Order: sequence, then structure tokens, then C-alpha cells
Amino acid sequence: MSIRKIVTVVEEIRIEGGRPVDRPARVAVVAAVIQNPWAGQGFVEDLAPGIDGHASDLGALLAPAVLDALEAPAEAYGKAAIVGLDGEIEHGSALIHTLKFGDHFRKAANATTLLPAVEKRGPAGVVFDIPLKHITDATIRSHHQTVEVRISDAPHPDEIVIALAAAAQGRPQQRLAPLTTEQ
Amino acid sequence: MQERIDHSAESIGLRKLVLYRDVVLTEAGEAPARPARRASVAAVIRNPWVGSGPSADLALEQGRIAPVLAKLLTDRLIASLGGVEEIESFGKAAIVGAAGEIEHAGALIHTPYFGNLVREFLQGESIICFADTRAEAGETLVVPLWHKTRASTRSHYQTISARVSDAPRADEIVVIAAASTGPRPHPRIGDRMTDPVVTTQSLEAVPS
Repeated sequence: MSIRKIVTVVEEIRIEGGRPVDRPARVAVVAAVIQNPWAGQGFVEDLAPGIDGHASDLGALLAPAVLDALEAPAEAYGKAAIVGLDGEIEHGSALIHTLKFGDHFRKAANATTLLPAVEKRGPAGVVFDIPLKHITDATIRSHHQTVEVRISDAPHPDEIVIALAAAAQGRPQQRLAPLTTEQ
Repeated sequence: MQERIDHSAESIGLRKLVLYRDVVLTEAGEAPARPARRASVAAVIRNPWVGSGPSADLALEQGRIAPVLAKLLTDRLIASLGGVEEIESFGKAAIVGAAGEIEHAGALIHTPYFGNLVREFLQGESIICFADTRAEAGETLVVPLWHKTRASTRSHYQTISARVSDAPRADEIVVIAAASTGPRPHPRIGDRMTDPVVTTQSLEAVPS
């Protein structure tokens, strides 16, 4: 696997809605900019060999890195695949929508739920939002949130950005009634 | 000195901190001889001078706020890059929101209350290169970096992008410190010591 660069973003919110946040709200993202394994091959019918060659390694690389950047246990998480202009969104989906990728993060974070995801295609510098949900119960509303990411020079047309995101808490100043109150 | 720095983030209206760090593993298909980590740390604070007009004296607030930012931002930079001794180049920047003056951005980064302290905390000697602008939230600012003790070291001329998705609001200022642990991925454009003498006269002798 050819990795060009690794990007880490950590946001820490101290004030929201004009009021201090009880505990500074932290969200971390780690992204790997990789060569698209299927670049220059035309339409590849069987993506399995490329998945086998990349997905698990990417999960193993990114999962500990994003938890390390968060410096706290993760309560919500998400993932992203941003494909350069010459690739298919299917290429990005292939790398992140497999247990071979996500199980590294679930295991490292003691998580059980599916990872919410963004998949899109765009030029270098495209802005993308990674959705995050609670790591053991995707219906917990307080933890529905997104984090915005931009890498100025990625993805190139023949690259894919693969990212994991983790939050140490729900939204700052979260105060929505739980889902059960409407059932 | 340390005792006189107010560390309270609340006192400067700190809304948010954003760390961006990257490491280049391959560039143009090859691994750099010295892979450098680069980072920027951005602090979003309330603009203390919004609505005060061009005759307002900026000294009081700049002396109160800038040292807190210098400590906060350099602490985060040092932690994210593996220690102050790892840091080889540095830069600074500010983005003022639409209701402020560019002078307000300058007040927070161009005086000794910020610059001298950033230099001291990062153990540098050079003047710190900078960028500043007035912009809407989410604007990307390219922050220049150069060597912290020998500014003319050409291998270390580089930039890093800084961006906060929802800042600055009109009444906010984003203040940024940035640093790198090494040179560009494949530096090979010589240096002042290797340059030939280039003048208009010498160039006339070069066939075109």
C-alpha cells in the first residue's frame, strides 16, 4: 500500500451557544492519503483482491492513531472515503465498507455499532463532513454529530483519502430528549 | 514571567481550538530523506475590539490576551510535534472576522506580547514569518514557515494550510501558530552558500 501522507485534526470546543462547555468537547480525525489501488485499470469488476490488500492494513493503521489523537475514550465514531476525480466512489466504499476495515476500530474502541460513513468524490481540497454516532447504541441522539475536514492537496485524481473520526462525548450543550420519549 | 501569564481560557473568550498535523510519507513517489511533521494550532477567540473604531488604543487588551495565546498555542504545538527540540521551523497567522480590522489581527500576533513569547517557548531566534487576512468563517489561510534560528535556510521555506470550519464569526479572531520538524520533502534548490552571483549583468551573458 502506498501512503502519501497522514493527516491528524483535533477540535476542542470550549464555548458553545455563548456558554462554557462543562468538559472541553474533543473530536479527532486521522486520515491516510493513499494511491487508489484500482487507478489506471479501467473498470475493474472484481474489487476483492484490492480490498484484501488494503482494507485491514488501513483499519489497523488508523484505529489506534485516532484514539491516540483523541487522548480519551471514544464515545462516538465515524469513517470516510473521499475518492479522487479519476476513481469511482465504489473504490472508496470498497475499502471502508468491510469488516476487515471497521473491526479494527470497533475492537480498539470497545464498540459494537456500525460506523456511519461519508463517501464522496472530489478534487484536492474538497471539504467533507464525517458523521459520528454512539459506539454502542446508534439511537443515542446526544452523540449524533459531524466533523468537517479538508486536506489542501488531497485527494489527487488517482488517490483516495480514508479517514476515521472519534469523539470523546456527544455534542457540546446537547439537550435533546431521547428517542424513547417519542415512542 | 510564568506567574504573570493568565492561563485562563475563559478570560480571553476562547471558543475553540483546532490542531492540524500532517506527515508526508511519500512525495513524487519517493520517501523523503527526513519525513517532517508539520502542525498548526488555531485558537478562536472573541474580538475584544469589535465596534471600538480606528482611534481605539489596542495596547491594554493585546498585553492581556496575546501572552495567553502564545502559551496556549505553543504548548499544543510542542505536544503535537514531540517536543520543542524537534521543532525546526515556525510561523504565525491571524484571521479577523468581518466586523473587525486587520489591525486587530496584527495587534495579537505582531507585538512582543505574542511574537517574543512564541519565539522563546519554541526556542527560536529568527523573526517569525506570518500571514494575516480578514475573512468569513471557513476560509483557508496558508501559513508560511521558516527556520527558527536561521531564517534564510532555504530548505525550510514551506507552508501549511490552516482552516476552522465555523470561524471566524464576524466578531471573532482566529490566531494561529505553526511549526515543522524538518525541511520540505525533497529540498534541492540550493542555498545562499551555493548560489552563483545573479545580477542583470550576469543574466545578459546567459543565452536565451
